[in-house]
Amino acid sequence: MGFLAPWFIAGLAVLGVPVFVHLLRRHITTPSPVSSLMFFERGTQSSTRHRRLKYRLLFALRAALLLLLVLAFANPFVRRSAADANGRTHLIVLDNSFSMRAATRFADAMRQALAALEAKLPEDKAQIMALGGELEILTQPITDGAQLRSALEGIQPGDGRASFSDLARAVRSLAETEHGPIDVELFSDMQHSAMPANFADMVLPGNARLILHPVAQGPTVPNWTVESIEAPADLSDPRDPRHSRVRAVVVGFGTPAARKTVSLIVNGKTLATRRVEVPANGRATVDFAPLDVGYGFNRCAVAIEGRDAFPADDTSIFAVRRSDPERVLFVHDAGDTRSGTYFGAALAAAAQGSYVLQSMAREQTTDVDPSRFAFVVLSDTPALPSFFEHALIPYVFKGGNVLIVLGTRAARHAPIPLWGGEVQDTHNYARSGNAAAVAQVDFSHPALEQAQPGRDNGGWSEVKVLYAAVVDPAQARVAARLTDGTPLLLEKQLGEGHLLLLASGMENLTNDLPLHPLFVAFVGRIARHLSGSESLSGSSLVDAFVQLRAAGVPVGTVASLEVIDPEGRRPLSLSQARNAQTFQLTRAGFYQIRFANGRDAVIGVNPDRRESNLESLPNDLQQLWSGSSGDHVPQTASAPSDDKKIQPVSLWWYVMLVALAAANAEIAVASRYMGTQREEA
Amino acid sequence: MQRFLDPQVLAGISSLDLLARTVVDGFVAGLHRSPEFGFSQEFAEYRAYTPGDDLRHVDWNLFARTERCYLKRYRGETNSQLTVLLDASNSMQYTSRPPSKIDYARYLAAALFYLAIHNQRDAAGLIVFDEEVREYIRPSTRPGQLARLFAGLEQATPRAQTDFAKPLQHFHNALHRRGIAIVISDFYEKPETIIANIASLRFRGNEVILFQVLDPQEIRPAMKGSAILVDLETNHRIEVIPEYTKTAYRTKIDAHVEQLRSRARAAGMDYHLLVTTQPLDLALREYLTLRQAGD
Repeated sequence: MGFLAPWFIAGLAVLGVPVFVHLLRRHITTPSPVSSLMFFERGTQSSTRHRRLKYRLLFALRAALLLLLVLAFANPFVRRSAADANGRTHLIVLDNSFSMRAATRFADAMRQALAALEAKLPEDKAQIMALGGELEILTQPITDGAQLRSALEGIQPGDGRASFSDLARAVRSLAETEHGPIDVELFSDMQHSAMPANFADMVLPGNARLILHPVAQGPTVPNWTVESIEAPADLSDPRDPRHSRVRAVVVGFGTPAARKTVSLIVNGKTLATRRVEVPANGRATVDFAPLDVGYGFNRCAVAIEGRDAFPADDTSIFAVRRSDPERVLFVHDAGDTRSGTYFGAALAAAAQGSYVLQSMAREQTTDVDPSRFAFVVLSDTPALPSFFEHALIPYVFKGGNVLIVLGTRAARHAPIPLWGGEVQDTHNYARSGNAAAVAQVDFSHPALEQAQPGRDNGGWSEVKVLYAAVVDPAQARVAARLTDGTPLLLEKQLGEGHLLLLASGMENLTNDLPLHPLFVAFVGRIARHLSGSESLSGSSLVDAFVQLRAAGVPVGTVASLEVIDPEGRRPLSLSQARNAQTFQLTRAGFYQIRFANGRDAVIGVNPDRRESNLESLPNDLQQLWSGSSGDHVPQTASAPSDDKKIQPVSLWWYVMLVALAAANAEIAVASRYMGTQREEA
Repeated sequence: MQRFLDPQVLAGISSLDLLARTVVDGFVAGLHRSPEFGFSQEFAEYRAYTPGDDLRHVDWNLFARTERCYLKRYRGETNSQLTVLLDASNSMQYTSRPPSKIDYARYLAAALFYLAIHNQRDAAGLIVFDEEVREYIRPSTRPGQLARLFAGLEQATPRAQTDFAKPLQHFHNALHRRGIAIVISDFYEKPETIIANIASLRFRGNEVILFQVLDPQEIRPAMKGSAILVDLETNHRIEVIPEYTKTAYRTKIDAHVEQLRSRARAAGMDYHLLVTTQPLDLALREYLTLRQAGD
């Protein structure tokens, strides 16, 4: 035992104060004058003795209080071993990512983890975590061996991707509540691809010691996989050679040059087989055309023939929906024939027969049911027949989508149909002689999406806008703006549907957009976005999220929502189905989803292909990571944990608690004996 | 106005004249709201004019209507004589909070004098005594009498012990006319001795009022611990424990007060206990009541 601040012991001098007050100072009674003593009687001895006795108790309490305060400031401590002080916490982390399916990696890791759990001292706490996709915490820090073993044995190999930075972040969070030493025991194949870009993200807190248990030793295992597939999500004409094809990229990790056989499988039947030369550690592209699939959703896969060391990743799945061309309703003013021409031509070029444009003057829309169309375009038609406008509102609320194009007629009819706002002003750039350009483009918007837009703003800066309506964005998302800040493309959610608003026309009068090449791609993306075909089929990665219902819709208003996972089970309960906004695709395979807007989809989910690279972290990097933990000593798999570090444990808090108790007792005694006596009735 | 009768407020007024005026005016203002009492300016009767009467009191309106000369008389003009016997012994200087007993007695006497002379047009006199008579001012209605009485009160500083025998003997010798005698003291003496000495005042037809002035601490003393007490008159010291003051002392002082009250009543005298925290209007009211009864 010792004191961390021994100079505060000098404060014991203050004990002289109560000693003087209670023991040394003479009790002086000042005589009190009274008018007459005729009614008083003498009475002294017993009362004085009684008072002295009371004051000794008070003196003892006051002296104890001062003594404890001085001790608290001197900060006493005792030396105890670190393990005894707070107990050691074992954090057993089992990697169940997709790569652990290779060979016997997962079984080996499980066996080693169970052995480590058995070796744990009974009084030590342990916590079980699964590292795959999202880090899964399976138990709290507990000492119950049976519960820990049960949790560990319950871990199954998953399809997610491990991330060492997620693990480090979780350990840092745990260290905020667990101040004792933490042994992080990681049972993993130590895949190189699990390492974050920045090594600093993997650093563990000071009280954590990392013990690595790599299960994949030796040279990198060669592995081929289908890295990516490019296939139409929606197919209307299988004979279209440009659209009806599947392009797969086969990649080899740590592989020699080899000839591989790649097959296209649709609904379990092999439709085509190709042989491809894959260079050493390289990629090869395989094309399958045409893609002849039946109507409806088709579950497709591209598989590499011939088993390798990791057969689970030899197949990559995707879904293709075959349907008749969808109709698109194009409503225009009777005098405007140019817009429909430009839009129809662009749509035919971009969507390759997936859509059929039905052009119609606004006066003819009275009896039209919009629900029979994939989406609706209102081209510079501010005033719609009321019957049609009332039919459009429930159409949009139920999930229908509308493109509103504002041309020169917009200024004459301020209210914008469906939008809920008005045209505030119009900008006629032609009068000033300086056409406006598109200055800001949100390339993350589905209608403007470009992977690598060029310096010319993805081609948009070449577009000259001569006339534009000014619309208050309010709740809408602005996807593009002109040079003077005027919103050009806006999107707003209305119920389950979307409204896309273009603040300039498509007639090649208010702007020259229809003459630019990007117009075709723009219309094509708009068509895919508004028809919802992008989310209805295709492929996705494990751990990706799918939006089940629109974010702005009140929860529970639409209940027709269903998810069926690859095993045929319904992962969402009824209450979750009423409330869930999104769903995470945690398993590889085909998911069937019925969205809140009533549309069905089949999504093929594949594991992240970075998991297919079975290269392990180099030993020096592993040692560097273990050395970054608390005691800076690299730990091997069987590092003994019996080093008892002696550390001082401060008693300050306990001394202050006792001082608080003494202070309360002093207050009670003082108020009882020295307070004003209550007068008897 | 009532707050001007509060002794603690009065203790802040240094001038006895102003103090007395404040008390009496406040008291009279209170009386105007009370139907029970009249005061000196209340009309009493008409009396036929006789030579020698002051012409200022002739009702000239009546004379103009009837050609008869009548004087208008008021109750206050039925003159009486007030003598205050003020105990100025050492015990009267005791105080636990302002005012002290002697100051309270001074305020009381000053208020009585002012009421008697200024409002009632009574003759008023003062005897200040301890173990002997220290000051005697003969009752009179002469101009300047009020100032003389106030000066006498100012000089009444406590000293020596109390002895009721000598001052009362002097009172007997000095008084030749019946009136009201008011004795203001703390009466730290045996009740039978006090009554025996004062009872003789009644023999000449005087109305006698005993005002016993005590401090609140003397009635209900609050002691936090044992203490040494010093008698202000005899300078004797004893140590007293708080338990005694809570029990036996209270019994004794209560018995003393009760005995003094009962013996005074038996002797035909009025007795009132005045605590120094009480307003002064009780004493003034008692004086007026007694004076009305004597008319």
